[in-house]
Amino acid sequence: MDYAIEVEKLRKEFKSYSSRSGLMGAFRDLFTRNYKIIRAVDDISFTVKQGEMVGYIGENGAGKSTTIKMLTGILTPTSGEVVVNGMNPHKEREAFVRTIGVVFGQRSQLWWDIAVQESFRLLKKVYRVSDKDYKEHMEHVIETLDIGPLLDKPVRKLSLGQRMRCELAAALIHNPPLLFLDEPTIGLDVLVKLKIRQFLKEINEKYKTTILLTTHDIADIEALCERVIMLDEGKIIYDGSLQRLKENWGEGKQVQFTFAKEVTDGELGVLTSDLKVGWRKGEQANSWIAHVPPVHVSDVISRVVARYDIQDINIDEISTEEIIRNIYEEGVVHG
Amino acid sequence: MFYVSIFFQYMAQYMKTKLQYRTDLVVEFISDLMFQAVNLIFILVVFGHTTLLHGWTRDEMIFIYGFFLVPFALFGAFFNIWDFNERYIVRGEMDRVLTRPVHSLFQIILERMELESLVGGLTGIIIMVYAGVRLQLEFHWYDLFVFILFVLGGMLVYAGVFISLATISFWSDARSSIMPMMYNVSNYGRYPVDIYNRVIRYILTWVLPFAFVGVYPSAYFLGKKEWYGYAFLTPVMGVSFFMIAVFLWNKGVKRYRGAGN
Repeated sequence: MDYAIEVEKLRKEFKSYSSRSGLMGAFRDLFTRNYKIIRAVDDISFTVKQGEMVGYIGENGAGKSTTIKMLTGILTPTSGEVVVNGMNPHKEREAFVRTIGVVFGQRSQLWWDIAVQESFRLLKKVYRVSDKDYKEHMEHVIETLDIGPLLDKPVRKLSLGQRMRCELAAALIHNPPLLFLDEPTIGLDVLVKLKIRQFLKEINEKYKTTILLTTHDIADIEALCERVIMLDEGKIIYDGSLQRLKENWGEGKQVQFTFAKEVTDGELGVLTSDLKVGWRKGEQANSWIAHVPPVHVSDVISRVVARYDIQDINIDEISTEEIIRNIYEEGVVHG
Repeated sequence: MFYVSIFFQYMAQYMKTKLQYRTDLVVEFISDLMFQAVNLIFILVVFGHTTLLHGWTRDEMIFIYGFFLVPFALFGAFFNIWDFNERYIVRGEMDRVLTRPVHSLFQIILERMELESLVGGLTGIIIMVYAGVRLQLEFHWYDLFVFILFVLGGMLVYAGVFISLATISFWSDARSSIMPMMYNVSNYGRYPVDIYNRVIRYILTWVLPFAFVGVYPSAYFLGKKEWYGYAFLTPVMGVSFFMIAVFLWNKGVKRYRGAGN
């Protein structure tokens, strides 16, 4: 069993009603509903090797969560093959889920009213973990995540960061070889994020745990994943190393100008029309960002400075976040 | 065996949760007792006006009501699935349930356990004893086992019907008021079925067999020989309806669509 996850032409369709407008429309809806089939996941195929850490990214509604839910046996696929840990997730659900750990960032796995350690104890029984294994494994987890002092507090009294660390520990009680993390760092502060990333790296090294993670925080991916799978409208648009993605898309610099007066897109475009420059409005007032190939950086700066009154200039590497935004805007990955 | 041990684990956690809120526990217990006392008085007053209905005496009807309360209390304690659609489908708690290696229906039953409801069963037994003494009913040692069997059968009838209704949520997103409506229908089972017309009697026996929660099993204890056949069908009906419900549930889970994030 070399592959932890094998997915072949996986598809999930949802049927949804669209209601007609107006009173007449509502009346007609009573008799004939307008069905619309929405393909949330559209014939995707990929494999994940054991011990790999893979970032699964995409915009909201791109089909990330749906995929994860099919891989964890929560949803039944419309068509296609899924083999995870050598099993078919939804067919052998109860045996299968014993071999995976799941963390949903927006949903608690723990019991709200009882102390964290009581939740752990209950989960230990549910997953049939022996006392010896529990002690050996969890002592280490509890120590690394630094949740020892939280164990006797009820979950409802924990802060989000504290709770998230406990959730992570809870997902690891049975020491699963495969871990699914759906937005594990959502809403957390930088320190907690760092701690969680460090911990994930550690268990990946120590137990060769395979990790598939979705996130909106590209820093998570940069810190953890060699490989990313990018999803758009249910289709995989990129599957490969983060490094290659950066090399192909991250060439050039990003130059940010803050102008003293208002300028327009058109003016700037004309000014640099013979160079390959893309202009985008910045976040602050009167700021514009130019995406410039490395050879033209000085050229662009000199032209802009000669023409306008400039308050500030910044030159940056293109960030991964920027790359991903560019890819989504253009829709395809070339190179 | 695994399921039995899990059951006790959840029960222990439930107790711990309840004990954490000590005042709540006391208040709840007192209000439960008061509610049951009011209930008791209400029954006596209501039935005080009737003396004979289709050959059933007042005390016999009280006995049936008392019996009904016992399986109903057990149902309330262990099959508290009224808000299944709201809690598990709309809010997506089902996701979490499905990532654990225990049957999903069993998990939900355990999570929603509501042991306070058992107090209602106690009221039921008191009412039965009261009516039984007045009717001078004979009680044999084996009747205790018959009683347990019938109570479990009645509970499973209830559970079967309401679990089946809950599974509708897997097929349809819309919230429906079918649960409360069915709750009203279920009340008909606590009155002698021969007071109803044939169609209703048929429905209460074979379609929504609530008669097996009240009148049929009670008929055995009341010594109504003509109803014995139905009385002994109680456990059979319970098990069959419960199995249908589990079957529908397993079908439904495959159709679960999850809640969007």
